[in-house]
Amino acid sequence: MNILADRIHLIERLAKGWAIFRQNLLGKIGLTLMIIFALMALASFFTPFLGPTYDPMTGVDPEISHATGPSWRHWLGTDFIGRDIFTQLLEGAKIAFMVGLSAAFISIVLGTIVGMLSGYLGGVMDTLLMRLADMIMVMPSLLILLLLAALFGQLNIWLIVLLIALLRWPGVSRIIRAQTLTLKQRPFIEAAKVAGASHLRIIFRHIMPNVLPLSFLYMTFRVTSAILVEAALAFLGFGDPSQVSWGMMLQWVWKTGHMFQAPYWLLPPGICISLLTLSFYMLGRAMDEVLDPRLRKEEHSG
Amino acid sequence: MEIKKFILRRLLEIAIIFFVILTILFVLFRLAPGDPVARMVDPMWTPEEVEHVISQLGLDQPIWTQYLYYLKNFLSGNFGVSFHYGEPVENIIWDRLPNTILLFTTSTILAALAGVFFGKIAAWRKGRKSDTWMTISALVCHTLFVPWFALMLVWILGYKVGWFPLNGIISPEVWVNENTNFPMKALDVLHHMMLPLMTLFVVQMGSYLLLMRSSMLGTLKEDYIVTARAKGLTEKVVRNHHAARNAALPVITSIGLSLAFSINGGALTETVFTWPGIGKELVFAVGNNDYPLAQACFLLIAAVVLTANLIVDVLYAYLDPRIRY
Repeated sequence: MNILADRIHLIERLAKGWAIFRQNLLGKIGLTLMIIFALMALASFFTPFLGPTYDPMTGVDPEISHATGPSWRHWLGTDFIGRDIFTQLLEGAKIAFMVGLSAAFISIVLGTIVGMLSGYLGGVMDTLLMRLADMIMVMPSLLILLLLAALFGQLNIWLIVLLIALLRWPGVSRIIRAQTLTLKQRPFIEAAKVAGASHLRIIFRHIMPNVLPLSFLYMTFRVTSAILVEAALAFLGFGDPSQVSWGMMLQWVWKTGHMFQAPYWLLPPGICISLLTLSFYMLGRAMDEVLDPRLRKEEHSG
Repeated sequence: MEIKKFILRRLLEIAIIFFVILTILFVLFRLAPGDPVARMVDPMWTPEEVEHVISQLGLDQPIWTQYLYYLKNFLSGNFGVSFHYGEPVENIIWDRLPNTILLFTTSTILAALAGVFFGKIAAWRKGRKSDTWMTISALVCHTLFVPWFALMLVWILGYKVGWFPLNGIISPEVWVNENTNFPMKALDVLHHMMLPLMTLFVVQMGSYLLLMRSSMLGTLKEDYIVTARAKGLTEKVVRNHHAARNAALPVITSIGLSLAFSINGGALTETVFTWPGIGKELVFAVGNNDYPLAQACFLLIAAVVLTANLIVDVLYAYLDPRIRY
C-alpha cells in the first residue's frame, strides 16, 4: 500500500512539473528543437537504404566529384569529393546525441557518487575530493584533450567520450554535495541510522532518490559542453577520423579552403551544433524552473 | 591580516596543484607510446646536438633522476627547443604571450562590462518582451560554436564586405615601410584584432549576461531592496546602487570559473584567425608533434588559470567580508 501511495505521489509530481514546464517558453522551444534533431538522428539509420552513393563517409557520387550547391539529388549539395552533405548532417546528429548523452551520463554518475560520498562522509575524504574537483574544474578541457591527442595519437570516439566525462564530473559533484549536506540533517536519515542501516544503504536508498532530479538537471548542461568540446576537437583535426561529426564537417570545409565558396557546406553543421546545444540548454533552464520553485514566474495563467 | 593569511594559503595550494600538474605531465609523457627520447629530439639535428639535449634533459638517466632534471629545467625556465621553429621555446613563448594577453583581456573586460550592464537591465525588466529577447539572444550567444562563428565573421565581414583582414596580427606592408609611425602600427594591429575580438566578445557576453541576470533576480528578492524602495529612492538608484552592486559579486567569481571555457574559446579563435598567441601555438604545436612547445604552452596556460583564480578569490574576499576565513 505504501508503494502505491508513493507511485501516485510521483505521478502527481510529474504532472505538476509538466504543467509548469509547458508554460515556459524556453522549454517549449528547447523541446521542439531537440525533437527535430532526434528525428534527424533517427533518420540517419535509414540512409543506407538510399544506396552507396549517399553514404556519409564513402558515398561519392560518380557523376559529381567536387563541391556543388543544393540540387534535387543532393538536398544540401556535395562536399569537395562529391559526398552528400545532407546525409552527413544526419549522421552528425546521431553522433552528437551519442557523444553528448553518453559523456553527460557518465559524468553525472561519477559526479553524483562523488558528491554524495563527499557530503555524507565529510572530513578528510570530503576535502580531498573537493580539492580534486576544483583542480579538474579550472583546467581548460579542450587543451587537455589536445595534449592527450598529441601524446597518444588519434583518439577513438569512445575514448573521447570517456575523457570528456572524466573532465566534467566536478561541476555536478559540488551541487550534489551541497544537497547531500542538507539532506544529512533531516530526521528520516536519523531514523534510518537508528534502525541500523549501513552507510551504503543510507546513501543509495535514502539520499540518492532525493538527489537524482538535480543530477538529471545538470546532465542537460553536461550534454551541451560535451557536444561543443567534441566538435571543437574534431574541428581542429584531432577527433575520430572514422566518424562524420558536425565538427569534422567543419574541419573539412576549413581545411579544403571552401569556406568562402560553399555556404551550403559551411552553414548547416555550425547552425546544427549551435541549435542542438541551445536546445539542451533551454531544456535545462526550463527544468531548473520546475525543480526550483523560487525561479518560477509569479503570474500563473490558467 | 586575515586577507594576508588567506592569500598565503591559496598561494600554497596553487603551488601544490601546479606541482601535481607538472608531475602528471611527466608521467603521461613517459606513458605515451613511442620513445620519449625521440619526442624531445629533432631528427634533423646532428649527433652532438642530440647528445647535448639528452644530457640536459637527463633522458639517459634512471626515472627518478629524470624527474629531478625535469623539475630543475622547468624552474630555471629551460623548456627545450621547438622542432618547428628551431628556436628555444622560451623565446617563442615570450614573443607570443603579449598577443594573447592583448586579445584575451580586452575581450573579457568588454564582455564582462557589457554582460553586467545588459544583465542588470534584463533582470529589471523580467517578464517583458525586452527581457525575453535579451535572454534568448544571450542564450544563443552562449551556446554558439566558436570556430563556426569565427568563420562566419571572417566570411561576411572579411571576405564579402572586405572591412577586415582575414587573419594574422599585422599587415607586413605597413610594418616594413619605414615611414609608418607608432600610431599607424597600433591602428594596424587593432584593425586585425577586430574580428577575433568580436568573436570572443559576443560569446563571452552571452554568458555574463545570463549570469548577471540570474544573480540579479536573486538579489531583487532580498529585503534590503524593499527597504531601499521604502526609503523613497528612485528606481534607477535602487537598481544600480543597491541591487546591481551586490548581484555583480557572483559574476566576478565566475569570471575565474568560466576561464576554462573562455580559454578553450580563445584557443579556437586564435587558431581560426591565425592570431599568433599561446593558444594558436599550442594547437599548431600539437599538430606538428612539437612536444617541447606544446608542453610549455600548456603549462603556461595552467599557471595563468590558477593565478587568475587566486586573484578572483582574493578580490571576492575583499569585496564580500562574509566569506573571509
